[in-house]
Amino acid sequence: MSLSRRQFLRQGGVGLLAFTVGGCTQEMTPQEARRRGAALQVLSETEVAGLERLGETLLPGSAERGLAQYIDHQLAANPEDSMLMIKYLGVPRPFAPFYSGGLAAASVAAMQLYDTELAKLTDEQSNALAGRIASGELDDWQGPPSPFFYFVLRADAVDVVYGGERGFADLGIPYAAHIAPPSRWGE
Amino acid sequence: MLEPALADRHFDAIVVGSGATGSAFAAKLTAAGKSVLILEAGPDRTREQLVSSTLWARRLKWNGAPVLEAGANPVGHSFNAGFGVGGASLHHYAVWPRFHVEDFEMSARYGVGLDWPIRYADLRPYYDEVQQEAGISGDATAEAWRPDGAAYPMGPVPLFEQGRIIARGFERLGKKVAPLPLAITSTAYRGRPPCTWDGWCDAGCPIGALANPLTVYLPDALSRGAVLVTDTPVTRIVASADGTRASGVLVKGADGSDVELTADVVVLAAFAVQNPRLLLASRSAAHPDGLGNNSGNVGKYIMSHSAALVYGIFDEETHYYRGAFGGQLVNQDCYPKNTHAEDGAFGSYQWMIANAVKPNDLLGVATTRADLFGDELHEFMRRAARGFASMTGVVEGLPSASNAVTLSDEPDEHGVPLAQVTHSHDERTTALWNAALADGKRIFEAAGASEVWTGPQGAMHIMGGTIMGSNSGNSVTNEYGQLHDVRNVVIAGPGLFPTSAGVNPTFTAIALAARSARHIAQNWRDVARG
Repeated sequence: MSLSRRQFLRQGGVGLLAFTVGGCTQEMTPQEARRRGAALQVLSETEVAGLERLGETLLPGSAERGLAQYIDHQLAANPEDSMLMIKYLGVPRPFAPFYSGGLAAASVAAMQLYDTELAKLTDEQSNALAGRIASGELDDWQGPPSPFFYFVLRADAVDVVYGGERGFADLGIPYAAHIAPPSRWGE
Repeated sequence: MLEPALADRHFDAIVVGSGATGSAFAAKLTAAGKSVLILEAGPDRTREQLVSSTLWARRLKWNGAPVLEAGANPVGHSFNAGFGVGGASLHHYAVWPRFHVEDFEMSARYGVGLDWPIRYADLRPYYDEVQQEAGISGDATAEAWRPDGAAYPMGPVPLFEQGRIIARGFERLGKKVAPLPLAITSTAYRGRPPCTWDGWCDAGCPIGALANPLTVYLPDALSRGAVLVTDTPVTRIVASADGTRASGVLVKGADGSDVELTADVVVLAAFAVQNPRLLLASRSAAHPDGLGNNSGNVGKYIMSHSAALVYGIFDEETHYYRGAFGGQLVNQDCYPKNTHAEDGAFGSYQWMIANAVKPNDLLGVATTRADLFGDELHEFMRRAARGFASMTGVVEGLPSASNAVTLSDEPDEHGVPLAQVTHSHDERTTALWNAALADGKRIFEAAGASEVWTGPQGAMHIMGGTIMGSNSGNSVTNEYGQLHDVRNVVIAGPGLFPTSAGVNPTFTAIALAARSARHIAQNWRDVARG
């Protein structure tokens, strides 16, 4: 049975983006891109692993919804077409150094506090680290201001989980689009 | 993009910027028979591009040269400004109250702030004219605080659950509420359909219910022959050798070369930061500190409103996603400037009650509790989905010469120095913001909210920077927006405001543009002479 466009978007969280799998560019959701192992364009595998660990801590389910793939896709796009919230938070373009810098600083903090890679923190450790990032309590933090990094990454996770038709449906509220997000954009 | 042939054509007027006031100016001048070229730095926009998505809405925000921000209370330029046809008003919320009589006479009445060179009575006919053209829904009689003016052309916007619930708190405390005056259609109006109240205003209104430039003024201007050129940033205003008049502007052609476009009159409608930036960057021998800046006032008195954000959760279903982004109801009981004087506060504020919001984004539900993460955040989102409610106070910011747009040492890609905006609120403004939050919490508690919390002192709207005044010693322009020093350069937009009032600025900015355009059209020969 074929899915209607509305049903497909509901399953797709933030909608369809263009990802590359096996050398071919295809439209898929960030969630599907993650499942199918779409090629990363900006972030490294290590950064993605750390990002997913933090993302899961900030909003469980965000990694599975393709948080890292969504951010990576947006960072690779023309900043003018970016849909990341950071775009209007006063951060100079390009935005990749913000994410890389924050993730690097979080990785250092994970090693200092727990002698463990960021991606391998336990839930308890990751929760504690997220709390310290949010409150700016990490004295040796070398990156964008840690409360701001927390704010931005948390917002990205919320976008991926609750920012599309599926997220609205999860909350039981109508999306009621005048014009639904199209299948192709930012290209 | 710029067609080379345009460089050979002389226009009556060049309008820089296609936002609310640029579009209105172009419509008024073309109606007077003038040839108009509109230059837009950003891309073209069409209604079909206005996708209902908080993510997509971010594409409408500022995308031009970076604006550097400093001071204790940055104005949030990237959030408040727009880019492309329609400018900031493409994503504005269309809350269109009038300034009050006292807002124009702040120094004379209170010894605080600045006086305008005009009074409310001077602007009233243009408020009336613009509200008829753009269409405002409301109930003028119910707005007990409203200054004199014609009744709204459309009846009030509908009241949904969130509005009814919050109104209960106002009523229990003996406060009034009235339908929020919105430039959104509550009924079919001049070929526009009525709004469907789905709360996507922030993403741009694709159906023409909200009075943004794609719906009002710009189509009129284009139908009367105005030429709109997009993706073409202006890099300089070109002045005559003796500096008494402008001959046109410099833009970047498609190949990156400088192209001079000429006109009798140049209208700067590029918003409150880019207008002074362009003036300051247009130095010449006759204007060594920037065009129109012989008295050093260009860039000064940048202002912002403080957003007083009040949130709550009620046991009832609020349907918080319904209605208009700006809200459903208004209260201006705290408009008198000294209402909270005992708290060290000064100024006005109004409540925009029952804002339609979405789960995500900067003004979305999740961000209101930025302290929550993990399972707690999910639990909050589920709880809020049923009973979330919010209202926003528009808290007046006071003018200060130290709050200013200046040029940085860093150039943009075209060699034009970037703008730096320095802004810190007066202590009396912060005291007023705190008083408003306390007021708002009491209202939500009285309404029966089971949880009440407030947000940070966010920046809302940008005004000032090219203020109008009675003489060149205290301002940049005269009462019609003409530079004191160069009379055929005209400023349009909220940058003209000497004071910020405690209400949203767009309606007043357009009314000023309408007044200015009429004066200029009627005195064309004198104005064009410079």
